[in-house]
Amino acid sequence: MPADIETIALAGNPNAGKTTLFNALTGANQQVGNYAGVTVERKSGEFFTPHGRKLRVVDLPGCYSLDGGSPDQQIARQVLLGEVEGELKPDLVVCMVDSSNLERHLVFALEVIELGMPVVIALNMVDVAEQAGIRLDPAKLAEELGVPVVPLQANAAKGIVELKQALRHPFPAVPDSAWKQGPAEQLAERRRSRVYQICEVAARRPDGHTSTVSDRLDRWLLHPVWGWVAFIGMMLLVFWSIFSFAEIPMGWIESLQGLLAEKVTASMPDGDLRGLLVDGIIGGVGSVVVFLPQILLLFFFIGLLESSGYMARAAFLMDGLMGKAGLSGKAFLPLFSSYACAIPGVMATRTIDSAKERLVTIFVAPWMSCSARLPVYLVLVPLLLGGQIGGLLQAAIFLGIYALGTVTALVVARLLRGKLGPDQVKQHFMLELPPYRAPQWSYVFRHIAGRGWSFLQKAGTLILAINILLWAAQTYPKSGSEDPAEQLAHSAMGRVGAVVEPLVSPLGLDGRTGTAILTSFAAREVFVSSMTQLFHVAEGETDEETWIALRKQLAAETWPDGRPMFTVPAVMALLVFFIYALQCLPTTAVVARESGSWKWAAGQFVFMSAFAWLAAFAVYQISSIFL
Amino acid sequence: MPLATAHDLQTDSLLSLSQAKVGCDFRIRFLNGPACEQLRQLGFCESLQVRKLADGRNLICTVCGTRLALSRELANQVMVTVA
Repeated sequence: MPADIETIALAGNPNAGKTTLFNALTGANQQVGNYAGVTVERKSGEFFTPHGRKLRVVDLPGCYSLDGGSPDQQIARQVLLGEVEGELKPDLVVCMVDSSNLERHLVFALEVIELGMPVVIALNMVDVAEQAGIRLDPAKLAEELGVPVVPLQANAAKGIVELKQALRHPFPAVPDSAWKQGPAEQLAERRRSRVYQICEVAARRPDGHTSTVSDRLDRWLLHPVWGWVAFIGMMLLVFWSIFSFAEIPMGWIESLQGLLAEKVTASMPDGDLRGLLVDGIIGGVGSVVVFLPQILLLFFFIGLLESSGYMARAAFLMDGLMGKAGLSGKAFLPLFSSYACAIPGVMATRTIDSAKERLVTIFVAPWMSCSARLPVYLVLVPLLLGGQIGGLLQAAIFLGIYALGTVTALVVARLLRGKLGPDQVKQHFMLELPPYRAPQWSYVFRHIAGRGWSFLQKAGTLILAINILLWAAQTYPKSGSEDPAEQLAHSAMGRVGAVVEPLVSPLGLDGRTGTAILTSFAAREVFVSSMTQLFHVAEGETDEETWIALRKQLAAETWPDGRPMFTVPAVMALLVFFIYALQCLPTTAVVARESGSWKWAAGQFVFMSAFAWLAAFAVYQISSIFL
Repeated sequence: MPLATAHDLQTDSLLSLSQAKVGCDFRIRFLNGPACEQLRQLGFCESLQVRKLADGRNLICTVCGTRLALSRELANQVMVTVA
């Protein structure tokens, strides 16, 4: 970093809009959200002033005070004082304040001014303050504080040019902080009284409390009865749209994949390389990429709920229910996200304050039935109903499957939370309920694109590698037989299948199903394609047709002695196994990263696999007595 | 017996935010308890006006135009008088 570029630090309370301003200044795309604590690390970028001068800007995590003890607040303090190695002391601080909340935010601004370096106050969200009826006087404010004050609206990019103008040379003089004089222990008290003096003249609130739109909305959305009605309605709508809207683009991806496979098949001679390309790479990676639309839709809805401000309300509503499981309302969002995919769910646990609660939430998150389990359920559930599809009974079974995973997760969370013991510092439930705002569409869509891209990157690297390995295990060593089933039995995978047979036979399943389960440990959705291969089912034009053919084949399948193989107890055991087993390598990798311990991730994997097997065993053995 | 002073009367009329009535405006007199600092940082400072919006396991109130949800234990530590 060249020393002649001057550094500007962005500091302020949480949810003041620092990152939004950072993005507006540098054109970067850092994550923002309508809740406190989105930024947990410092980030830097560069921009030019209107005079063509290049400046470096550092975005600091939001903090309520420079004296605070939490790690992100310490980062802010160290950067401002130039105590971080490899980071120069900033030449100027832009202190971000929420103008609808000056009484709170100015206290921090005074602390920054006390540090004795040039300060510019960015008076953000002037539109929100105006709506709240606050009479702002930026000129008065600048006079009282002795520093330049720039009113702006960072999310609409208003006032950015004015701010850049204020950052020109020479930098504003270091303001004096008269309130600092006096005994140190009363400093906080003097700061507060100074803030009230300033607010009296520069930001007059309307007398009395006026009821805002957010107040009126909250009267319904946080109502003990109607709040729940609205919440459940919204969740149903989200799930329904994820599963119904996603089908259209999923169809496109599937036909594209089919087209690609056909092209490769037609243009290459039969051989191992073609097998690798068609079955291993196109089929394997395709079976995962097909979930991209669902994942994008889920992120769209989560982005919508977050940026509108509803997510904090949902956490508030769910706090009571989560409390019964030893968690707090903040665990709701991660668990909710896990219904689509446990990976973003596990990552979303970062907002939970208590470290132990966070670990517990990470531990149980994979039990929320994710979208990868859906193809498996769709194949297996009709087998319970004698091949019938649709109808109320099937919907009820699906609901039961989701409920079983969720209830078990909450019960285990409660037990585990009790085992880990109470927190060292007691955490109280405390949540800012931000005013409802219209979603920032550009941000929501950029965010979705980023997520989609990182998902595709993962599919192109980790999942690709796993699929190649799986394919190799299914192909080698060669048996010389044309029959794919015989080849599979001869291959490394088939031999492993023979080994696992004793493990799955207590669940009423044979070695082939055992092998399919084994392949699904890399990714659950692989189970369906493995079963198709293992039971000699001709692939249909669409997934639907393949599934119907597979179901027919499975229903007709018998043990060597003529008993039907996929009886109701066996299918139930298989379903229960899939509800509980942690068959997703990427999840385990993310858990290891987020919990900071491979032991925790490995323990979770072993516990869930053992639990799944025991539950499936119990279901099969007990239901066999009655059915 | 000395007569009650204005200060005593004011202390008598203190109540905690969790006891306060929903829909009314109050003024924060002082914070008392282990989570004081946490509350101050969130904006619960002496002499600020606070309105209680909802009661329950967690209660909702507004301070300086910010809506906050906080647990009863925290609300017990905020002493208010009628504004």
